[in-house]
Amino acid sequence: MTSLSATIQGVFNEANCVENANKSAAARKKGCTKQLQPGGAAGGCAFDGAKIALQPFTDVAHLVHGPIACEGNSWDNRGSASSGSDLWRRSFTTDMQEIDVVFGGEKRLYKAIREIIRKYDPSAIFVYQTCVPAMIGDDIDAVCKIATAKCGRPIIPVNAPGFVGSKNLGSKLAGEALLRYVIGTQEPDYTTPYDINLIGEYNLSGEFWQVKPLLDELGIRVLSCISGDGRYGDVACSHRARAAMMVCSKSLINVASKMKERYGIPFFEGSFYGIQDSSESLREIARMLIERGAPAELMERTELTVAREEAKARAAIEFFKPRFAGKKVLLVTGGVKSWSVVAALQEAGLEIVGTSVKKSTMKDKERIQKLMGHDAHMIEDLTPREMYTMLKEAKADIMLSGGKSQFVALKTATPWLDINQERCHAYMGYLGIVKLIEEIDKALYNPIWDQLRKPAPWDDADVSWKAKSLAQVDVATVDIDPNLGRVEKDRCAKSAFRCQNLDLGVTKESVVALGSTTVDDIAQHTEAPDVCGASERAIADMTAAQPTSTQQAAE
Amino acid sequence: MTQNAENVLDHFELFRGPEYQQMLANKRALFENAHDPAEVARIREWAKTPEYREKNFAREELTINPAKACQPLGAVFASVGFEGTLPFVHGSQGCVAYYRSHLSRHFKEPTSCVSSSMTEDAAVFGGLNNMIDGLANSYNMYKPKMISVSTTCMAEVIGDDLNAFIKTSKEKGSVPAKFDVPFAHTPAFVGSHVTGYDNALKGIIEHFWDGKSGSEPKLEREPNDRINFIGGFDGYTVGNIREIKRIFELMGIRYTILADNSDVFDTPTDGEFRMYDGGTTLKDAADAIHAKATISMQQYCTEKTLSFIESHGQQVVAFNHPVGVSATDDFLMTLSRITGEAIPKLLEQERGRLVDAMADSSAHIHGKKFAIYGDPDLCYGLATFLLELGAEPTHVLSTNGNKAWEEKMQALFASSQFGKDCHAYPGKDLWHMRSLLFTEPVDFLIGNTYGKYLERDTGTPLIRIGFPVFDRHHHHRYPVWGYQGGMNVLVKILDKIFEEIDKNTNVVGKTDYSFDIIR
Repeated sequence: MTSLSATIQGVFNEANCVENANKSAAARKKGCTKQLQPGGAAGGCAFDGAKIALQPFTDVAHLVHGPIACEGNSWDNRGSASSGSDLWRRSFTTDMQEIDVVFGGEKRLYKAIREIIRKYDPSAIFVYQTCVPAMIGDDIDAVCKIATAKCGRPIIPVNAPGFVGSKNLGSKLAGEALLRYVIGTQEPDYTTPYDINLIGEYNLSGEFWQVKPLLDELGIRVLSCISGDGRYGDVACSHRARAAMMVCSKSLINVASKMKERYGIPFFEGSFYGIQDSSESLREIARMLIERGAPAELMERTELTVAREEAKARAAIEFFKPRFAGKKVLLVTGGVKSWSVVAALQEAGLEIVGTSVKKSTMKDKERIQKLMGHDAHMIEDLTPREMYTMLKEAKADIMLSGGKSQFVALKTATPWLDINQERCHAYMGYLGIVKLIEEIDKALYNPIWDQLRKPAPWDDADVSWKAKSLAQVDVATVDIDPNLGRVEKDRCAKSAFRCQNLDLGVTKESVVALGSTTVDDIAQHTEAPDVCGASERAIADMTAAQPTSTQQAAE
Repeated sequence: MTQNAENVLDHFELFRGPEYQQMLANKRALFENAHDPAEVARIREWAKTPEYREKNFAREELTINPAKACQPLGAVFASVGFEGTLPFVHGSQGCVAYYRSHLSRHFKEPTSCVSSSMTEDAAVFGGLNNMIDGLANSYNMYKPKMISVSTTCMAEVIGDDLNAFIKTSKEKGSVPAKFDVPFAHTPAFVGSHVTGYDNALKGIIEHFWDGKSGSEPKLEREPNDRINFIGGFDGYTVGNIREIKRIFELMGIRYTILADNSDVFDTPTDGEFRMYDGGTTLKDAADAIHAKATISMQQYCTEKTLSFIESHGQQVVAFNHPVGVSATDDFLMTLSRITGEAIPKLLEQERGRLVDAMADSSAHIHGKKFAIYGDPDLCYGLATFLLELGAEPTHVLSTNGNKAWEEKMQALFASSQFGKDCHAYPGKDLWHMRSLLFTEPVDFLIGNTYGKYLERDTGTPLIRIGFPVFDRHHHHRYPVWGYQGGMNVLVKILDKIFEEIDKNTNVVGKTDYSFDIIR
């Protein structure tokens, strides 16, 4: 695990991350992932992040090494579109069993790799490490190395078991795997001065295909896309690109910055969400390419395309302006979208009452300030409860967010639109923003919201639905001590018997003071109605450690 | 031989074999004198044009693919809803075989019903003898508690007088004098099955309330706090009536379901054949006169029945097959207003759940266009629900709808922003619908099994809601009324929408980039 922890350290020490650069050495060492609070709701794990980042590579077999849990729950959960192979949608897992946990799963993994090669003949296999094999010490790096040698094609270990940290970290570790094993391992057939890489673009609902025709028109070639509709061979050659655009702001920043470091590929952070951003990104791509030797006329052509597309999109949006007058939006997303979508919505005449900046950088925040003025309502970390209250108080007419907060909106009877990965529509580019505006319009004017906001018609008209639910919120919002739940400091409080939440302290006391030696005794003494088998063993251990007469008495 | 005793092929497969294909091709080439396929194709395309539509709508005499059935079907449907009651259709036996098969194919249950088997001599001399013998035979063979008489066209054309015939039969000893034989004239050349339902139900109530054709004194109404409930002709009667009973019981309402055929169309398989099962007891049918009010779920199924009941001093309320949140709200609040009983928490929760489900999925229905056809009340109820979901019921067609229905539908359209491009088509048939679907396409079609031809010809996906549904089983067991019923309808619509999305994205390597797991 030393190499994995070294990789993690490296990932945290990201020179191109503004936040990181401003940290003290000690803080930097601690890393940027927030410590999870046991007992609190949490998002996805590192494995999930890694899988998300790489899964859209279409001609690769994605093999998850672990028990069914990891792949069983994540199979095909993102709507990335492929223009070629559908191999990426196939669910491959070693489905580890108890016996593998006992004797190790490396052989099983190796055999699984061999079977995939035999049956599917993929360009490469990505092998994902998960918690269980990582804990029992399965060395997937070694297995992949041998398999690569024996099978004659790249078998890439993606070492991001869930327990190492967050989803974001997992994405970065996936990026590390690409940097270490894939990027720069092949050479393109030819190169042009117009070759770019896209990093962190996942082609959800095929949305990148709305932008690609524009790039084609300008003669710009996407040498490789990491990872939407991506091909293994393309990524392997990606080191020959002239410039790169980092699309999803932070998760793969390590890939972009290391490619700059190693291959001198400059990159910029951009977005194709919204009219302005689409235009800026196209210009920036052109500028960078020109800087690296493309003919200067590229910029002129870019400007023409931009002007034409902007005019078309603006004309399409115009229709909605009167319908959006006075409508307020709460934006709960993060990163680039926290401002790129803001601009687009403002253009359509919507008022933004708040935008979450949880995953946004300082630069992102500056842009929000510029767009929304100094009273910009930036929400650092909007808890579901705060979100709920905000919506309850009808501070927004619609919420745009990811599927995670969908039900917060729906349960407060607020129109809601998915703008994250599970959405069914493509919102990218000039066409995409028109589609987004259309969808917002549909959501705002859906008749169901009136129905939702009305109480049952036989209810007392004086007790309005809103008042009732607000009262509910007030009751729910009791002060919660933020330190509550930080339990490590007291070992005694550590729960020994999960079955009844008896804590070790109480049980120990019971064993010592009363000489309880059987679970029944303990159950009686601690008033726990039922004690499980695991507890029984724990008690046995404890009583064995008590050299007292109670034991003899019990015998 | 294509067919082979060791592996007998079903007809789907068999006739695709080379021998049969050759035979069919030869027949076509040598004997059929068929039109030039190009000409056939041209005409087929022409039948999709607005020009053809205009001619189609100018059709005066011919009805093509009507979406309605005849009166006695409705009469039989209502009659089996009474305790131990044998429907007896005075007329030709072939008609009666149709009602039985029609109902059995929908409900997947036997339908007990007899006819007086009139033949040519009866048509010439009148059907009195058939009535006399028929009542005697069915009384003795099938031991009913009541025989409910209706008529086919044959008896109506020659003008058989049921009242007199039944009286004579009793005098001749066919059935005991006190035995209940209510009757209704139900000619197929007037109205449709919903009219027949109305006539038969009114006939039965009138029999009990108004002195059993002069053989007993009329009943005096002594008002109590009970509520009568009439479902109307309803393909979902099994699920619906059970749901309604549950709602009444939750609200603590004392009720009588008139024509309760929910059990007879859903008898358990336990080794016992039930010719009759459940149903409104004859005593309850008579006592129903004392009720405070009568509620009908389907206005156009109960016009005469309700006005008869109203004339006996009861409050009557008619709905139009309520489906969805507001329609069910209205239904429950009416119940609450009439009975003074509060709407219980549980129903309010069910309401919340339906609203929640609608909100979860509304984006997929919102803005979609639908064509609906069926009985007038069903059309109205479904259109209300679609408008509530933000969908547009663009074409609403009812072969047995009338002018009044059309006005009511148009008023409904006018009440919603989603109804502005919607039209009601009374008295039109499914061939008219075909033109509508070609010239003003919609996203989905809602109708009964016969809609599958429209689905195939026009490519408009069919959501099966209505009567009859022959080619899908057991849908009648699930209610479409109440909030839970609304949920069932919602799910049915959504299932089709998602199936269509999948269907449109499932070509390997071509469209399957959107063949997603999460919708």
